[in-house]
Amino acid sequence: MIMEEGREKGGGKVLSLIEKATNSTAAEVDPRLLKAIKSVVRYSDMELRLAANTLLDLMKRDHSQVRYLTLLIIDELFMRSKLFRSILVDNLDQLLSLSVGFRRTLPLPAPPAVASILRSKAIEFLEKWNSSFGIHYRQLRLGFDYLKNTLKLQFPNLQANAARIQQERAERERRSREILLKKFEMFKDNFSSIKEEIMSTIDEIGECLDIVRTNEEFMPLPPADDEYFEEFRSSELLQIRLNTLKEGEKVHENSDNKVVFDALRELYKLLETKHLVAVQEWISVLLRVEVADNRFRDSALKELIDIQNRLKSVKKKCEESGCALPNTANRDGEEDDFWEEGKIGSLESERSTVPNKQDEAFSMKVTPNKFKNRTPESSKKDCNDNEILSAEGGETNLDPLRSKLLAEAPVMNWGSFLDNWGSNRKVLTNQRGLELESHWGRVDYDTVIPAEKMPELNVHATLYEEQQTDIQPCRAPLSKGGLCQRRDLRVCPFHGPIIPRDDEGKPLNQNSLKEEISLDLGIDSIEQLAKQAVKNVRARDKEVSNKREIDKKSLKRAKLAKIREHNETVLRDAALTSTSRSASIGEDMGVADGEKPSARNKKETLSSMLHKKVTPKDRIAQRLLNSRAKDSTTRQLTLGEDANYREAFPNQWQ
Amino acid sequence: MWKEIGDRERGILRPKSFTTRIKSNRIRTLQISNHKDIVSPHRASINSLQVDLTEGRYLLSGAADASAAVYDVQRATDYEAGGLIAKHKCLFVVDKQHEHGHKYAISSAIWYPVDTGLFITGSHDHHINVWDTNTTQVVMNFKMPGKVYRTAMSSLATTHMLIAAGTEDVQVRLCDIASGAFSHTLSGHRGNKKFIKNNQSYRMLPIYNIEESCLAFKYNIAFFMVDGVMTVEWSTSSEWVLVTGGCDGAIRFWDIRRAGCFLVLDQSHSQLGRRPTIPEHSATNKALTSKSLSSGQNLNAKPRAQQRKLANGNGTKQSPVGRMPAKGSLRQRLHPGMLSSLDRATAHYGAVTGLKATEDGMYLLSAGSDSRLRLWDVESGCNTLVNFETVRLQAGKPIQLATSQDSDLVFVPCMTAVKAFDVWSGNTSQTFRGHYEYVNSCWFSSQEQELYTGGNDKQILVWSPSRLIADEMDEGPAQDRDNWSD
Repeated sequence: MIMEEGREKGGGKVLSLIEKATNSTAAEVDPRLLKAIKSVVRYSDMELRLAANTLLDLMKRDHSQVRYLTLLIIDELFMRSKLFRSILVDNLDQLLSLSVGFRRTLPLPAPPAVASILRSKAIEFLEKWNSSFGIHYRQLRLGFDYLKNTLKLQFPNLQANAARIQQERAERERRSREILLKKFEMFKDNFSSIKEEIMSTIDEIGECLDIVRTNEEFMPLPPADDEYFEEFRSSELLQIRLNTLKEGEKVHENSDNKVVFDALRELYKLLETKHLVAVQEWISVLLRVEVADNRFRDSALKELIDIQNRLKSVKKKCEESGCALPNTANRDGEEDDFWEEGKIGSLESERSTVPNKQDEAFSMKVTPNKFKNRTPESSKKDCNDNEILSAEGGETNLDPLRSKLLAEAPVMNWGSFLDNWGSNRKVLTNQRGLELESHWGRVDYDTVIPAEKMPELNVHATLYEEQQTDIQPCRAPLSKGGLCQRRDLRVCPFHGPIIPRDDEGKPLNQNSLKEEISLDLGIDSIEQLAKQAVKNVRARDKEVSNKREIDKKSLKRAKLAKIREHNETVLRDAALTSTSRSASIGEDMGVADGEKPSARNKKETLSSMLHKKVTPKDRIAQRLLNSRAKDSTTRQLTLGEDANYREAFPNQWQ
Repeated sequence: MWKEIGDRERGILRPKSFTTRIKSNRIRTLQISNHKDIVSPHRASINSLQVDLTEGRYLLSGAADASAAVYDVQRATDYEAGGLIAKHKCLFVVDKQHEHGHKYAISSAIWYPVDTGLFITGSHDHHINVWDTNTTQVVMNFKMPGKVYRTAMSSLATTHMLIAAGTEDVQVRLCDIASGAFSHTLSGHRGNKKFIKNNQSYRMLPIYNIEESCLAFKYNIAFFMVDGVMTVEWSTSSEWVLVTGGCDGAIRFWDIRRAGCFLVLDQSHSQLGRRPTIPEHSATNKALTSKSLSSGQNLNAKPRAQQRKLANGNGTKQSPVGRMPAKGSLRQRLHPGMLSSLDRATAHYGAVTGLKATEDGMYLLSAGSDSRLRLWDVESGCNTLVNFETVRLQAGKPIQLATSQDSDLVFVPCMTAVKAFDVWSGNTSQTFRGHYEYVNSCWFSSQEQELYTGGNDKQILVWSPSRLIADEMDEGPAQDRDNWSD
C-alpha cells in the first residue's frame, strides 16, 4: 500500500533501485546502486519510509541471496538514518527471525551456503547496531540479549575484542615505560662513571694512535703523481690506483709495534662492541623516556650525542690508521661465511646469541654483517682481498663442477654408513666408546677391522618401496556429462568392469565389455596357445606327442570358451535389463533434452542459485543407495568369483 | 495536550474528564520504554505479573523457575548510559533455594489486595503459599489436589479473605487465609479427561480444541486434554461473586454464599451489540466508541445507564442474583440445581484461558484456546458478539489479560505480541511487539499508564507513554541522529 502511495506521489525511485540492487548473485551490493539509494533516501523521508518497507518486504523473499543483499542495504541505512532505525527496530523481531532464522518454523531459505553467510552477517550486524545504538533502542538491546542469553548464539564480539586488544597494548606500553624509567634512573646514577670509562678508552686509543704515528713518521710518503692520474682516465683504474696509494700511506704492522697494535685492536673492539652500542642505547632511552624534569635529560642527551660523535670519529681514525683490525674483521668474515650457509634458521640463532636484546642495537649489528658478505668492505679488502677473490673465483669455478657432480651423485637416505663413506681406513674395533672391562676375557684394544671388510659391514640396506602403479580411471560417460573419474582396480561399482575407453567414454572394444570378467583368462589362454603353437612348430620333431596333447587341450579350451560365451550373453541380457547403467541411459536422454546444456551456458541467476548443486558426495550416495546399483555391483563381484568355477564345470552351470 | 490544559484553565473541562483525556492520550502513545528496564532475575518464562493495588508501586512477578520477585517500578535501583536508562532490579526474590519456596513453576503470583504486606503464589507443585513481604517467609500454606493454574483475591472484599484457586482439579477451592482451611469447594466444571493413545508413541501433549484433536488423530499421536480450571476472577462489583473459566469451555458464576453456580455463560446465547456503558460525564470515550454504536443502541442508552448506576450504588451489598427482575425469577427457580441444558452451555470451544472483568463489573472479557476473545454482558449473561481481531492466542497456558482505565482497551497476549483492542468495537488499536517468545501475562498500571508484559523469553517489558519533547532533548552521552557520510 505504501509502495503504491509512493509511486503515486512520483517517488518510488528508490524502489527500482533496491529492486535492482537485490537482484544479483554477487556477494556484495553494487556500490554505485548503494550510493544511489543512499542519496535518494537521504533527502526524502517519504522515500526512506518506502525504502524501509520495501526492504522489510524483501527480507521475506524465499531466497537467501535476496535476503542477504537486502540485509547489507539495511545495515547501510541503519547506520545512517535515525528515521530508518526507528522504523526498523519496531520490526526487529521479524527482521531477526528472517535473517538469523532462529525460529524453527521459519528456517532460512535456500541456497544454504548463502544462508549461513546471511546468518553470520546478521549476528554481526546486530552486535554492531547494539553497541552503537543500543542505548537508544530498547528493542535492539532486547534482541541482542535474547539471541545472546536465551538462544546462546555466538557473537563475534568485535567490540570486546577490540577493547581487550587496546587494553593489552596500553598495558604493554605502560610496562615498557616503567622499564624505560628504571633504565633512566640507572643511567642517571651511572652517567658519570660511564662517561669516564668511555673517555679513558678514547684517550687510550688516541695515545696508541700517537705512538704508532710517531713510530712511522719517518716513513717516506709516496708523492701524489698528477701526471700519473691523467693517464688513467678510466674511473675504475683510477680507483684502484687511489686505493693502492692509500694502502701505501698506511702504517703497517710489524714486530716493533705489534704490542701497540694489539692494544689498539682490543680497544677498538671495546669501543665498537660496547661503548658505541651502549651510547646508542642510552640515547634511545633518553629519547623515549618521559620524565617530569627535562633538564637532566636534555643535558645528558647533548653530552651523549657529543660522545657518540667523538666515538665515531675515533673509530674512523682507527680504521683509517690501518690498524683496521684485521683479526676482528677476519673473524667477522669467517663468521659471516659460516652463517651464510644456513639462511633463516641461522639468523634466528644469531639473534639468540646476541646478548643485547635491544632491537636497534641488534639490527645495527646484524645488517652490516650481512652487507659485508655481499660487498666486501674496505677493511676487509685491505687484508684479504686476494683471498676473497680467489675464494669467489673458486666458487664460480666450482659451481658447474659441483652441479655436475650433484647431478650424478646418487641420493641416499641417511644412515650410519655415511660416516665412513669412501674411507679406506682400518677401524679400531674396541675403541668406539663401549668399554668392555675384560668381561669375557682379555680385550685387545688394538684389534682392527681391515679396510676391505668395511664395505661388507656397511652394506647399505634399503626398504623396498612399492612402485606407484597408475590405476586407470573408469572413464565411463556420466549422465551429467564428463567421464567417471573413479579409480578402482577392476570393477567400478557404478559402471561395471573397467575397460579401455575412448575420449567420449565409449568402450574401445565391444567384446571386452562382454567378456570382461574372464578377459584375463581368455587373453592369457590365447596368447599361450599362440606361443605354444610357435614352440610346437619348432619342436615338432621332438615332441609330437606333446603337441597332440596340447592340441587336445586347446580344443577343449575352445569348447569351453564357446560355452562360456553363451553363458555370458545370457547373463548380460539378464543384467542389461536391470543394471544402473541401463537405467541411467534413459535418464541421461531426458536430462540432456531438458535443462542440462542450458544450465551450463546460462548466466548464474537467483533462481539458478536455488537449484541444489549436486556434489559428488550426493551423487555417490544416490548411486550407492540405489538398490539396482547395489545389486549389479554384487552381481559383478560374484560373477568374478564364479568365473573359475564356471570355467571348470561349464555344463553344470547351464 | 495543551488544548486540554487551556480548556481546563478556562473551566471548560471538568477535572475528572481532564485527567481521563490526558490519560487516554498517554495510553494511545504507549511504546516500548527505552528509559525503564526491569531486570528480570528469572531464568524461565514469566507467568504472572501484578502491580500492587494499594500504592501502584510494587510489581510482583511469578516465573516458571519457581521464583517470584518484587520490583519497585517508581524508583530505579541504578542507572545506565549516563542516566538515560533506569534499571529496576528486583527488591527481593524468592526461589527454590528458599526453605519453603516452591518446587515447580509458579503459575500465579498476586498481591494481597488490601496492602503490600502479603502476597500469594500458586505453583505447579500443588501448593499455594502466602508470603509475608517484609520477612519473605511463608505464613500460610495450602495443599491443593493438583497443579495450581490461577489464584485470585477479591479487591472489594471487606468481609472475607478468600483465595480462589483454579487447579488441575475440576473443583474450585476457596482458601481462607484467616483460618488456613478450604472454606468452599465449588463443583460444577466438568472434567474432560480424554486420552487418545496409540501404540507407537506415548508422548503426552495437551490439546484444547477440535481441530487439534483431529490433527492428533491424523498423526496418530497420544494426546490428552488439559483438565481443570485455568482461570478464576472475582467480580469487580460484588465481593461474593466469583467467575471461573474451566477447561470444559464453561464460564461459571458463583455466589459464594450459596451452593452451586448461578450462571453459566453460553456463547450461543447472544445479544446484538452492547449496552452502552459510558456515563454522560465521562464522555471521552464516546468519541472513540460511538462510531461503532448503532443508532438503535443509542436509543437504549439512558435506561441502561440508569440501571448501571443503581448496580454500582449498592452492588457490594446486594447479591447480583436479585438484581435482575426480568430473569431473576427464572434464575432463582433454577438455582441451585440449574436445568441441565443450561448447565452444559459453553463459552468457548476448548478451554477458557483468561478472564478479566471490566472495572465497573458490568462486562467480562474471556479468552479461550479457540483463539477467540469474547465480551460478555454480565447482567444478561449474553455474548455481545464483539469481534476481536485476534490472530491466535496461546492455548496451552492460562493467559493474563489487562484492561485500561475505564476499560476502553483490553490488552491481550497474542502469541509473541500483545495487542490492545478496543473493548467495544473489537478493533486493534495497537500492537506491542518486543517479546521474542510467547507472552503469558500483562498488567496495566492505570496510575502511571504503563503496561508490563512478561513472556517465555524471561523478559519483563515496560511499555510507557512516549516522553515529552522536553525530555527527549536530554538524550544522554551519545546522541542518536542521522549520520550521512555521503
